[in-house]
Amino acid sequence: MVGNFLRSSALAIVLASGTAGGAFAADPSLDLVAPLAEYKIYVAENTAKLVEDTKAFTDAVKAGDVEKAKSLFAPTRTSYEKIEPIAELFSDLDVSMDARADDYEKAEEDPAFTGFHRIEYGLWEKNSTEGLAEYADRLMSDVTTLNQRITDLTFPPEVVVGGAAVLMEEVAATKISGEEDRYSRTDLWDFDANFAGAQKIYELLRPLIAENEAEFVTKVDGNFKDVADVLGKYRTPEGGFVSYEELSDADRNVLSTKVNTLAEDLSTLRGKLGLG
Amino acid sequence: MERIKAPRTDRRNLLKGLGAGAMGVLAAGRAGAETPAQQAPHNVQEAPVGHADTAKQRVDFHGPHQAGITTPRPASGLVASFDIVVSSPDEFEEMLRQLTERARFLTQGGLVPERDPKLPPPDSGLLGPMVAPDAQTITVALGDSVFERFDWLTPLRPLHLQRMVQFPNDALETSICHGDMTIQFCANLSDTNMHAMRDIVKNLSEFLVVRWMYEGSVPPVLPAPDGSTPSARNFLGFRDGSANPDSTDAPLMDKVVWVAGPDEPEWAQGGTYQAVRIIRNFVERWDRTPLGEQERIFGRRKMSGAPLDAPQDATEQALPDYSADAEGKLTPMDAHIRLANPRTPDSDRNLMLRRPFNYSRGVTKSGQLDQGLLFISYQADLQQGFIEVQNRLNGEPLEEYIKPVGGGYFFALPGVRDDADYLGSSLITAARRL
Repeated sequence: MVGNFLRSSALAIVLASGTAGGAFAADPSLDLVAPLAEYKIYVAENTAKLVEDTKAFTDAVKAGDVEKAKSLFAPTRTSYEKIEPIAELFSDLDVSMDARADDYEKAEEDPAFTGFHRIEYGLWEKNSTEGLAEYADRLMSDVTTLNQRITDLTFPPEVVVGGAAVLMEEVAATKISGEEDRYSRTDLWDFDANFAGAQKIYELLRPLIAENEAEFVTKVDGNFKDVADVLGKYRTPEGGFVSYEELSDADRNVLSTKVNTLAEDLSTLRGKLGLG
Repeated sequence: MERIKAPRTDRRNLLKGLGAGAMGVLAAGRAGAETPAQQAPHNVQEAPVGHADTAKQRVDFHGPHQAGITTPRPASGLVASFDIVVSSPDEFEEMLRQLTERARFLTQGGLVPERDPKLPPPDSGLLGPMVAPDAQTITVALGDSVFERFDWLTPLRPLHLQRMVQFPNDALETSICHGDMTIQFCANLSDTNMHAMRDIVKNLSEFLVVRWMYEGSVPPVLPAPDGSTPSARNFLGFRDGSANPDSTDAPLMDKVVWVAGPDEPEWAQGGTYQAVRIIRNFVERWDRTPLGEQERIFGRRKMSGAPLDAPQDATEQALPDYSADAEGKLTPMDAHIRLANPRTPDSDRNLMLRRPFNYSRGVTKSGQLDQGLLFISYQADLQQGFIEVQNRLNGEPLEEYIKPVGGGYFFALPGVRDDADYLGSSLITAARRL
């Protein structure tokens, strides 16, 4: 048994290094130039949309229109959740815009708690926009800064490629539990956007590995499709999603296995593309 | 049936019936107790000294029954409950085959394969490049929900398998109850169990969602002067398991533990029912209770484990004689051991094999220690075994100090015959024939 292990592991090493050296250019980042450029366009489109949507959302908050603000909360977040794979490149803004109450010692009452979820807390828990104007201004300012920064931002290949797996990891660790949008229960909107964002990266890189990693590609494609099928069950005719509370235990388990398996599989993308 | 009542006697007898692997496990307790003093580490940064002899203990993975049931209990145990996500018998088989493959490696040990460093490593690395078997056993059991949910399994449900229902003293917490499948990991070191758990979580993410997990331990005990090994103590300070049936007595185990006979589905023969109960102990309160009352609650002396009707110098192996104490003057009628096992001709059919671990999980909101017993029992008949005994215990004085909060009933699959076989193969074959 041990002998078998040694043989198969030696073979694995030869195959792996063969793949890295043979199928791609000596500098793997050359193959990645086009997909990364395209990804940057995707991000820029989303941050532009985020600016537009956040303007409408924060205007509603500042106008004291609770119902309108509530209706815009989830759709506004979508373009942000799509680019979350690379959130580590603007982590200062991510904290300010998207942190959760439990990131702070005093939770909801902590003065440092700002951003989307602080406003969500006011809208749903207090059913009011009172005191939210300053958070709305700050969010608008953060979103604008983010949009401006993207143009000059360098996208390191390993961050983008790794980002797809990291985001799946995050969904598995802190989103599947339904703690992200705990006041509004709009978690399924975020899931959908997170999967779309991770899948975008994967789709852009897919041509680089499709030939040598046919089995891998089939499996990952299948898992993304399964996720889409499950989420599809919870879509509303208006294009949104029902409350997270309506997600059945069985479907949550399916999503949980898929997201963990995607995290597991996508974590090998960097290596498969020859990135260290 | 006298044998059933006789507790484990002497150590030599115990060893006779065991294979080499199991013997190694028993030897472990002694070596573990003696070696550290001889080889004290020199420096803060040096790891505690491991024991080559216990690390290499290997429990056979193949056999008519799964290991980890009548196998002597090593110091560390972990029970994890999972939900299974499969949509067909084929996927279920694939899950079981992959699980078997991992369990075979993890219990037998070997070199972790190397991989291109650009990829995540195939193993957590927790045990280094060579996984030592360390008496690791991995025992897989299915919950009632699997037979409930998958209609292609429903007709194959073991006769007594059911969803655990609340007993009067229970305060069950949903998040630590039930599940489609348990895996019981046992090993000398808790790190070995955690390594195995992480391996399975990583490799079977496609099929399994962790539902809950409890880790426990058994305090090793020095051998008695006569060579026998006393029972370990639970967190109430009492010896637990004194009256367990002799797990080295194969015919007895066939009667008490292993499922056999025409009432049960053919595929289930050689399996056993697993009852898991997470039983919180109110240790602060217990420690403030007079010793005499503690002993009357259990029906045993705290230090020796001897029954209350035995002479002062008796050991835990002494047998109580309730027929001579019909009014409960020596051993109260509602003492734990008397209710659990009244030792009447009838009560023989309620025997089970207990294999618990003590758990400790920090503190409660009130600042009390969250400790208790990760109770695990195996029996050929769940109804006559655990359920019947627990029904007799309902209302016992011990209830004031314990609170069952979780667990479930499961069916431990028959053993894996050989390299070509896999866990649950008989079930899958039967499902295909339906």
